[in-house]
Amino acid sequence: MTTTALSRPTTTPRPRGATLAGTGTLLRFMLRRDRFRLPAWTLGLALLMTYFATALDSMVSSPSDLEGLTAFTGSPAGALFGGPGFGFDDLTVERFLAGQYGLYVAIGAGLMGLLTVVRHTRAEERSGRAELVRANAVGRHAQLTAALILTVVMSVVIAVLIGAVMADRGYDTAGSLLFGASVGAVGLAFAGIAAVTVQLSEYPRAASGTAGALLGAAFVLRGLGDMAAVQGSGPSWLSWLSPIGWSQQTAPYVLDRWWPLALSLAFAAAATAVAYTLSGRRDLGAGLLPPRPGPPRAAAWLAGPFTLALRLHRANLIGWSAALIAAGLAYGSFTQPLIDGFADAPDDMVAVMGGRDNMLAGYLGVMALTMALAVAVYAVLAAHLLRTEETDGRTEPVLATGVSRPAWLGGHVAVVAAGVPWLLLVAGLGMGIGTAASTGDAGLAGDVLLGHLAFTPAVWLVLSAAALLYAAVPRWLPVIWVAPAWGLVAGYFAPVLDLPGSLVRLSPFEHIGRYPLERISVVAILVLTLLTGVLTWTAVTVFQRRDVTGGS
Amino acid sequence: MNAAIDIHHIEKSFGRVKALDGLDLSVEPGTVHGFLGPNGAGKSTTIRILLGLLRADAGQARLFGGDPWADAVALHRRLAYVPGDVVLWPNLTGGEAIDLFTRLRGGADPARRDELCQRFDLDPSKKGRTYSKGNRQKVALIAALAADVELLLLDEPTAGLDPLMEAVFQECIREAKESGRTVLLSSHVLAQVEVLADRISIIRQGRIVETGSLTDLRHLTRTTVDAVTDRPADTLAGLPGVHGLEAADGHVRFEVDGDHLAAVVRRLGDLDVHALTVRPPTLEQLLLRHYGDQAVHSGATVAA
Repeated sequence: MTTTALSRPTTTPRPRGATLAGTGTLLRFMLRRDRFRLPAWTLGLALLMTYFATALDSMVSSPSDLEGLTAFTGSPAGALFGGPGFGFDDLTVERFLAGQYGLYVAIGAGLMGLLTVVRHTRAEERSGRAELVRANAVGRHAQLTAALILTVVMSVVIAVLIGAVMADRGYDTAGSLLFGASVGAVGLAFAGIAAVTVQLSEYPRAASGTAGALLGAAFVLRGLGDMAAVQGSGPSWLSWLSPIGWSQQTAPYVLDRWWPLALSLAFAAAATAVAYTLSGRRDLGAGLLPPRPGPPRAAAWLAGPFTLALRLHRANLIGWSAALIAAGLAYGSFTQPLIDGFADAPDDMVAVMGGRDNMLAGYLGVMALTMALAVAVYAVLAAHLLRTEETDGRTEPVLATGVSRPAWLGGHVAVVAAGVPWLLLVAGLGMGIGTAASTGDAGLAGDVLLGHLAFTPAVWLVLSAAALLYAAVPRWLPVIWVAPAWGLVAGYFAPVLDLPGSLVRLSPFEHIGRYPLERISVVAILVLTLLTGVLTWTAVTVFQRRDVTGGS
Repeated sequence: MNAAIDIHHIEKSFGRVKALDGLDLSVEPGTVHGFLGPNGAGKSTTIRILLGLLRADAGQARLFGGDPWADAVALHRRLAYVPGDVVLWPNLTGGEAIDLFTRLRGGADPARRDELCQRFDLDPSKKGRTYSKGNRQKVALIAALAADVELLLLDEPTAGLDPLMEAVFQECIREAKESGRTVLLSSHVLAQVEVLADRISIIRQGRIVETGSLTDLRHLTRTTVDAVTDRPADTLAGLPGVHGLEAADGHVRFEVDGDHLAAVVRRLGDLDVHALTVRPPTLEQLLLRHYGDQAVHSGATVAA
């Protein structure tokens, strides 16, 4: 055996900025980990902007088309889902792009900022990898700093890309750069917010959930403020409480003012300062908010496969109920302004709504279909929960008890199947109440509710097909996304795309009838329900024949 | 009496990988049966077939005389299962999970459940996602031990438990045996099986390579002898059954095959023994003989 003499320094001088030691190495490591994720986000958002621009160009062929768009976007509804509409009285394509679609690219940038910070800080701590990293010569604040620098890099890339994309289309260069910067600023603001939320909870999902809720609040605040601004009365200052609002107030291609972005930068800097202070006061892996204990015993009703499924789907059902009733109320209350606004819209857009003579019934029918597609998305996600239960290894111990496979699968499918009419009811109630309030015709509420509920068997069919895929070949389950996607294409774009009727009829949503514009087909309801029964029965039978995989 | 578990020559493949290759296993009621083997040998696959979660490609598996695939539900009411890697629902507390499992199996005595929570030092009011691996394991163990069942299927049940909890676990298994339950205890923690099991089956690459009581198996293995003698002990090296003899400064150490032990001890007596340690083979040594090739291989990796 040979021994090696190790030379080691006898004293270790304490370097300045020790809490940041290793930041550069961590940043390079994060860039390596995100070598696909970073271009996907930045290029993706730039492509989204290009898509909006191309789509708008193809839809708007004359100045009168542009005026038709203003009618809708200049209304309060347009303001809520677009922006304050700077320069919309003298509309150009680029003003419309920045003023109406810019909002959604900005939301994308906000999501990117908050998800990136959570991914590289709290998610790392939760997984235990941060402990390994911190055990090396890495400072306390290095991980947060590196994550923030990474997000700044991503935001700057997005700003430059979007600015370049817009300038490349021939729009004013200064305005294009400002528009790009206003999108990037939202990324920075929500990176700052996420830097704070990751300090609060031990769980990455709670951290991104809180930051995401604040993103939603920022959307709503500026929406209310912009509505007030368009109407010329009300609390238009609300827009100035929202990081998204600051970006929109730059008014690219109109006022071209940079100073609102100073607010965004100051906000991001202040949030980051708070984050560093909080981070210095807590232990690695711990949150500032302690986890709450739960009941030490199970409620008496939690005793069988059906109630277990109910317990597992409960939180999702509550969340979807709240979202759908809010969406219903929002879309319902814009019924009258929307119809007024659409009066001058391009023919293609009007055709989707059922033509100029039936705008009201057409809009309500389209909304019933929209809500049905949303509920179908819920059903598909709920079916994916089954697969996650199995692949994570939670199905195995349940099936090792007195629960049979048909009971386990049937319990889950029954809970989701009951959730479908429930969610349609909730969405229909919100939409009905909103419509009645907006049009002043209370009798419409019942029609709207019926129109929504009628779609139940169509969503059931999607659910039972998902159950069959899961039961037979679980790794093919994602194929079921084709069903709601095709429902969307067939439902919205059939007239624009000139789709042949046989293809349109492949969508189960096209057989029910968009009440109140069309009659509800009782035959379709019976046939779809019967098909659902057959597929579900097949799923339960097939599920008894295959191996159930364990967690590891 | 009918065997609680009776497996004849089952085979199971996953794609091109053959997990079980003609496995036979028989467990008598009221006994603790150790199911020993390295990772990937097929222990979990065997247990999943016994639970009817996987279907064997060939051969026959019987649980209480019934078919685990066809009669799964009826059989599951008579058994409890603890997987090696317990996954809990993140938003259900440990207590909720325990109650749920016992109720799905047909109910359990709440007093027994509370007593077990105390013995295993588990806080049942914490959410599933906040538990460490050891605590998740405790949740599954308590749910299984609280149930009034005839058979416990335990798949490496103590991975992640500290030595104190390991002792509580051993106590609980002894109690289960006293009350007449059957236990199939799969493990690669050799000491645990050695302490608890009446019989042991060793599985390797999807086959049982050895089965019997601990005494039966020891017969097949070598006893280690350490001795200090006045007279040189080099001559022992020539005796039949003696292996790996090292002698220096009057200290001798060697291994001897079980059936040659008597002759060797007689010769040792003639050499004026001062000190003598005779150690029975550990299960590590049993495994080393069966997996000798692998042990050498991994040893080489460590050295490199």
